[in-house]
Amino acid sequence: MDETVAEYIRRTVLKIPRCQIMEMLTMWEFLSKTQLQTINVHQLKERISQAVVELCEVITSIVNDQIVSNSHNFVFTISGIFSCITGEETDSFNLADFKYKFKRSLRSALKNVTINFREYEDNAIWIRIAWGTQYTKPNQYKATYVVYHSQTPYVFISSLRSSIPLLCQALVHASNYHDIHEMELRSRCIDSLKDIVFKRYSQTFQTYHPRPLQERNVAPEKVDPRIIQENKREKERIQSVNQEIFGEGLQPKIEFAQYKLETMFKGEPEMDILTEKEPFRCVVKFSSPHLLEALKSLAPAGMADAPLSPLLTCIPQKARNYFKIKERKGILSASCLGP
Amino acid sequence: MYKFSYGNLKEYSRLLSAFVAAEKQKGLAVEVGNDLGIKVTLSTLLGLKGTDQDQVAVLVQIASRSQLPFENAENKVVWSGWFCCISGDDLLESVPEDFTCLSLFLANGAESYTAIVGSWFQKTFDCYFSRLTISPLNLAWMAAMWTGCKVDSHMAATELVFSVPCIPQSLDISYAIHSEDAKALWDTVQKTPGEVTQEEVNLFMDCLYSHFHRHFKIHLSATRLVKVSTSIASAHCDGNIKILHSKHLIGVLTLLTELAISQIQ
Repeated sequence: MDETVAEYIRRTVLKIPRCQIMEMLTMWEFLSKTQLQTINVHQLKERISQAVVELCEVITSIVNDQIVSNSHNFVFTISGIFSCITGEETDSFNLADFKYKFKRSLRSALKNVTINFREYEDNAIWIRIAWGTQYTKPNQYKATYVVYHSQTPYVFISSLRSSIPLLCQALVHASNYHDIHEMELRSRCIDSLKDIVFKRYSQTFQTYHPRPLQERNVAPEKVDPRIIQENKREKERIQSVNQEIFGEGLQPKIEFAQYKLETMFKGEPEMDILTEKEPFRCVVKFSSPHLLEALKSLAPAGMADAPLSPLLTCIPQKARNYFKIKERKGILSASCLGP
Repeated sequence: MYKFSYGNLKEYSRLLSAFVAAEKQKGLAVEVGNDLGIKVTLSTLLGLKGTDQDQVAVLVQIASRSQLPFENAENKVVWSGWFCCISGDDLLESVPEDFTCLSLFLANGAESYTAIVGSWFQKTFDCYFSRLTISPLNLAWMAAMWTGCKVDSHMAATELVFSVPCIPQSLDISYAIHSEDAKALWDTVQKTPGEVTQEEVNLFMDCLYSHFHRHFKIHLSATRLVKVSTSIASAHCDGNIKILHSKHLIGVLTLLTELAISQIQ
């Protein structure tokens, strides 16, 4: 077995916390039950990892079945694939054909590259690519992961690198599409990215005629009548507007949004100080463990107006979280001029 | 500090070295005669003062010798801190005799060393250390003043970081304005060069808030300003400071001394 691969396996096992080793090794599925039983997890970790490597030496197919477990550590970028209808119905997706074409395309451009495939039940194909150069072996530690759902025109790629054009070329060739372009949507959570592009979150429908609040027959609570809730109607209005904009269910999970603003400075009418003709350039970044939920809670907390700006609420619909906003003649709107 | 004498710096160095070594060895099973190789030096920093009345700044450095036998036995500075007081005299009431007043202490290095050095000074000179917390109001002053400073070399953006309280998920908002545009805004707000008033700072901040609100409908004034970053320096509300431009060092330290003294009083 290749020394770099052996070393990689050894280091990966060392990184796993002792209590999770057995679980992880079972998940990887390349060691048989009897082999797993021979590993003693109570010895020094060095010895454990060495034992795993020795067991792997026996299996030559190790390279074809790599580990795809730490997906939550990657930041995924979406690349969208555009299909071009050529007039004839494409055949049903052929996995073997796809793999062959992908490998051939990539290998013809770059000799030193490790490619592994893994299929999952939900028609997702995970591709792991370790990149080398003309003179060096593939670097197993900085692999790129690609997730392709064969029934959709979307590809998710972890970590943008200089080798992306080669990768895109291979993907286009293998999938029989014509072109591929990058979408401005990034997140750590691939499931959320899928939710957004596959429109799996609870969507809202724009209402142009806001409904008046309906009176509900609620039994009056036994509260001291001297206590009045301030701005009760306003609070209810905010709740209802929020609901209309964000929908009922849980928002897809993204961690950040970035806006590059190149609009003219304009404060309140009384502070019309800057008479510059140049735009006021700034970059605004929002970050949160769960950004959309946080934004949703701003108006009820009194820190934002309801409805919240469409620049923020359009994130799931427009499937992007990187924006460049320029001044538009007339009213400022969510005009996203991007690449 | 009570009965602190600039003449005894060598003696203090020796005592502090022993103290630091002892503290570091606490809880470790140490062989007799093992030397951790820690050396502390106290010295004076003569240039670091605002006015002639300011006390001379004192520099404390902890150097550690590498323990590995085959490496060079060089002393590498692992921690440094210094006491200073820049233009503090008009703010402090008359200081009684026997007392030396150096109100600002800056530390760079591991938190554990800072704690050890701090406790030694507190025990020896009957003084008190506390972290300098900077309020959003003071951070706003820094943002306005430092944005207005002229910097010859490349200017970094003026960045304000806000943290949003009271919501279930934490949310941080970073608002970075191009340096030229931020300076242009401040220049139109400031009426007298060299003088900064509270109204001017408020107006500057309100302009920034209002531009933000126009786009996002969020009231930044309801959030908490926690960090300010400019070409001159950056400051965080928990007292972490980065000074980026040596030309403005005294200016920044003057401001910090003022804050430190007001926190004491």
